[in-house]
Amino acid sequence: MKKGYVLKRIIYTVFVFGVVVTLCFFIPRIGVDDPCARYYPAQGNMDDESYEVIKELTRKQYGLDGSYLSQYLRYLKGLLHGDLGNSYRAGSPKVWALICDRLPWTLVLSVSSMLICFFCGVVIGTRCAMKRGRWQDKALMNASTVTTAIPSFFIALMLTYFLGFELEIFPAYTDQNLVSSFDWSLRSICAVAYNAALPVLSTMLGGIISNAQGVRNSVISVTGEPFIVTARAKGLSRRNVLYKHVLRNALLPIVTGLGMSLSGLIGGSVVIEQIFNWHGMGTLYLEANNTNDYPLMMGIMIFISGFALAANLITDLCYSLLDPRVTLGEEG
Amino acid sequence: MAVIKNAALGIAVFFKKLWADKQGRVGLIIVGLLSVCAVFAPLIAPYDPYDVTMRDDKGLSPSLSHLLGTSITTGQDIFSMLIYGTRVSLSVGLITGVAIAFLGSMLGVCAGYIGGLCDFLLMRVVDIMIVIPTLPLTILITNVFGKSYVVIVLVFVLFGWTGLARTVRSQVLQIKNADYVKAAELSGASRFFIMIHHILPAVSNLVVMSTALTCAGIMIAEAGLSFLGLGNPTAISWGKMLADAQSGGGVLFGQWWTILAPGIGIFLSVFSFMRIGLAIEGIIDPRMKKGSGMKTLIRHMQGRELDELLASMEDGYEQST
Repeated sequence: MKKGYVLKRIIYTVFVFGVVVTLCFFIPRIGVDDPCARYYPAQGNMDDESYEVIKELTRKQYGLDGSYLSQYLRYLKGLLHGDLGNSYRAGSPKVWALICDRLPWTLVLSVSSMLICFFCGVVIGTRCAMKRGRWQDKALMNASTVTTAIPSFFIALMLTYFLGFELEIFPAYTDQNLVSSFDWSLRSICAVAYNAALPVLSTMLGGIISNAQGVRNSVISVTGEPFIVTARAKGLSRRNVLYKHVLRNALLPIVTGLGMSLSGLIGGSVVIEQIFNWHGMGTLYLEANNTNDYPLMMGIMIFISGFALAANLITDLCYSLLDPRVTLGEEG
Repeated sequence: MAVIKNAALGIAVFFKKLWADKQGRVGLIIVGLLSVCAVFAPLIAPYDPYDVTMRDDKGLSPSLSHLLGTSITTGQDIFSMLIYGTRVSLSVGLITGVAIAFLGSMLGVCAGYIGGLCDFLLMRVVDIMIVIPTLPLTILITNVFGKSYVVIVLVFVLFGWTGLARTVRSQVLQIKNADYVKAAELSGASRFFIMIHHILPAVSNLVVMSTALTCAGIMIAEAGLSFLGLGNPTAISWGKMLADAQSGGGVLFGQWWTILAPGIGIFLSVFSFMRIGLAIEGIIDPRMKKGSGMKTLIRHMQGRELDELLASMEDGYEQST
């Protein structure tokens, strides 16, 4: 791998991240003329002068004084030190601390769902690719159009109804003591798994099918390559060719795509987390939205974008290491 | 005029092909039914869905007078709400889809055909926009600029064209050096003329396919936003019906039809557009759809074509000897 390519790629990622930060910084400032007034609405028994004083104090406290440019520079400076600013909520906790508090809970959902989807998807997709054109394959095609058309929050609601309330197999709403009483004992880990079952199930269905579809297409395109024909022609068994030649090549794009999809899952699970009242990033974002907590919203957006960019960068670098055929990134 | 006539002819042929395809026909029929519902909603719906004065009738089970029961919180007729909900879903989906198709294909064609600095800048913009998570961004923007469908559609369009532009660009790069494009360039046609008359028709199928799929995606996204309470609070949409059912305790009291009805609405609209999109994909690129290559070859060779093939082989044999 060329050094210049790596360097170029990293500089480019940093540049994109800078643009994203700028966007996230200025969107609330364009639309909201005075965040202080939203944060601290005028009280009836207060004269204008003292209200101004209070607003000025609030501005100072949250770093909203001075011109936009100086605010922006201050924000960037904080960002370089890993500081995403303070939230507007009571006690003005650090945004970074709030995110760190919620991130593991979101990762529990998204990582477990992603892994299940990946393994089931590989098994189903490979089988369908082997049985290309027969009923298994057709069933997968039809299932994929059906499952992608059903929104996951609808599945979640139906699951809460049937498995949560009718059959009472899984808890329909997350136990609110789950987070506070969590210690690393086996019992609390089991409790988390038990509570996470429904959210994971409701995102799983669509994920498995779309993964299987991706694996199927990838396997089929690799099967057509000359080196597979060669492997078969020199007398290797079907099984051997499948595991050692086809899957190794077909799964490469799928595995490297996992990192990217993880960042999408963190942002995309907002609705599911809200339905099950899960203590994750999605509900944090919605809380921030309801209280007009712009620093928190900005912080979460920047965090997710940064995560996506990092995943993208690592994926690209790994890919060019693993698969030398990849042309080194000149075409976008 | 010739352009318009050609376009009309192309559209007619296109619909014929779509109708001939089994998936496409299913999609077209459902879309037709849904659009009838949306346009003639006041005629079809038995009650006024905006009427929230029937508080005595809230949470009724399905019966002959209320086909799908009434809503839990305000007692509106759910069947009527379902019919009116098609309006929001279809209009948001179609308007956004068409706008994205327009913007995405234009920018994609520009980037691919003109190339150079234009291409570089557009693709960098695409790179940036793809990174930003769409749902949180939409929530942020509705918070800042107010909750309305105009804002939602604008955000979807502004951040949704990137995928299409990328695909169109790579397609344009492939046909850019085709003989007929070179011929048009040599005969002195302007870049704009070539883009409109030669490049755009060549990618039109791709654009239509991705428009159908985008519409489907946008409908799901709109339902999700309404479900979170971020759509227009006064409008009737399926996502909001789901949210009302959930917050009103539809799950808790076992009134599963209040959830199932809007869910089926969302499913049908998204499903139909996806069917159409996939049918077009099959028409553009038959390899993705058909079974094993050998089988189709044999099927093709049965009948007339086989004779032709054999005849041509004999011709070739005679010529070589």
